[in-house]
Amino acid sequence: MRGFRKYVSFARTSLEITFVYRAGFAVNMIGTIFYVVAMFYLWQTIFLGNPGALGGFTWPEMKAYLLVAFLLNSLLTWYQEWVMGEDIRQGVVAIDLARPIDFQASRFSRAIGPVPFEFTSALAVAAIVAFAFGGIALPADPARAGLFLLSAGLATMIKFGLVYCVSMAAFWTTGTEGLTVGRMAVQNIFSGALIPLVFFPDWLRAIAAVLPFQGMISTPALTYLGKLDGPTTALMLAVQAAWAVGLIVLGRLVWGRAVRVVTINGG
Amino acid sequence: MAVRVAVAARLRPARRLVYIYFRCLGQQMKAILAYEADFAILMFSAVLVQIVGFAFIWAIFQRIPSVNGWTFWQVVMMYALIYVTEGVGSLFFEGTWRVSQLVYDGQFDQMLLRPISPIVQVLAGAVGFNGLGNIVTGMVLIGISMANSPIEWTPGRLVMFAILLVSASTIRVAINLGSAASAFWIRTPWSLVPTFVHQLGDFAKYPITIYSLGVQALIVVAVPFAFISFFPTAYVFGMEAWSLAGLLTPLVALYCLFIAVVLFRIGLRRYESTGH
Repeated sequence: MRGFRKYVSFARTSLEITFVYRAGFAVNMIGTIFYVVAMFYLWQTIFLGNPGALGGFTWPEMKAYLLVAFLLNSLLTWYQEWVMGEDIRQGVVAIDLARPIDFQASRFSRAIGPVPFEFTSALAVAAIVAFAFGGIALPADPARAGLFLLSAGLATMIKFGLVYCVSMAAFWTTGTEGLTVGRMAVQNIFSGALIPLVFFPDWLRAIAAVLPFQGMISTPALTYLGKLDGPTTALMLAVQAAWAVGLIVLGRLVWGRAVRVVTINGG
Repeated sequence: MAVRVAVAARLRPARRLVYIYFRCLGQQMKAILAYEADFAILMFSAVLVQIVGFAFIWAIFQRIPSVNGWTFWQVVMMYALIYVTEGVGSLFFEGTWRVSQLVYDGQFDQMLLRPISPIVQVLAGAVGFNGLGNIVTGMVLIGISMANSPIEWTPGRLVMFAILLVSASTIRVAINLGSAASAFWIRTPWSLVPTFVHQLGDFAKYPITIYSLGVQALIVVAVPFAFISFFPTAYVFGMEAWSLAGLLTPLVALYCLFIAVVLFRIGLRRYESTGH
């Protein structure tokens, strides 16, 4: 029990840090809001010019899809990723090595700490945008909403697993900025964050299907909208869980190798 | 070094500023090129971001012929102009993004101690090599869009396009510099206001006709991102209703630069070098 308490403490401290630097958090979020609003205007124009469904999506469904993507993207912000890269780059990670803690677990608690705050802020913004653009499609029933929350939780685990693995690269390179930008680009296209995967040609969808990214946005969003039937939903959730576990295990393996190359002198 | 300074002193004032600017920038380039892997990753990531953005527009236009009358290559041109000008800002003028940190730490002093314009030093204060990736990929996209434009490319038109491109880049850098001046009023180690303003550029990746009047006013008048992407594109594709405004781009660039320099000078007077 004492072992668990220290991780709760990491999470709480991380949340408090987010509160202290709330101006940074707010500006970061406002930036994403501009992007979401631009997307809403773009799709609104597209649906006005092409009444009916596009790629199987109606306008209220597309609005819901965009907001679910926004909500999930708002969790585990870049800040934790940046801090971890900087800690490794500057050699601060030595302090973590000296502590009787599991490195991955401590980083996970720090990442997860601010999630309640990130989630409620993003939800408030999503509600305002949804209201301004005339409402969105809601989950058909409570069971569907429950499945969505489960899928969203798994999506967050996948995101942590992935971000952790990418941050490990800081042990070999000197900066992580480029890697973060690159990861986000690949993630944006293959997760379905920019546009539902159904809009892609078959070969691109085939690639997306074997990558972990679709579990980050596409699966939870399609679960929310009820676009997947019962067995498919179960399968997709299982695929999500497998990727979450797989990436977290991979992160541990990479860490095992990374600490051998660590040089604690900054730089 | 002393010889070089003497050489610089003999140059005419304007040329001297340009000379000093490139000397400062060169030092920054050396610092970054020391980390080869980072340099390569930054460039590659920038290219990746653009390919993804292009894929997004392409996926949409697979389903529909036009958005509000705007075709695929027109939207690609607007998108590419946003990234090329961002690339110019990163590669040559990344220093504007360091102002907040320097003022916050009180380190801005170093800029005031040297007998060179602080604004030139700020502009040359950093190099973002991701900009090179943005410029190259963006120019390739612009080239393909131009080839798909119905306009006949006479030498005169090409010169006009070059002027538009330089003007658009100037507007971008002026917006960065002007918003960086906010650091003298709003004291945070991060570029809060500049980031905020920069994100407004997201609106200008698409034709402004899709937006409500309020958003249009924001990106045409308040922070003229529309003159970076939309109006030059309208000119290149000969969209009658908008192309005349495209010709105003050089004037808008001069206006933005003037405002940015004035804002920065007013801000400089408030600088107390105490840090916060």
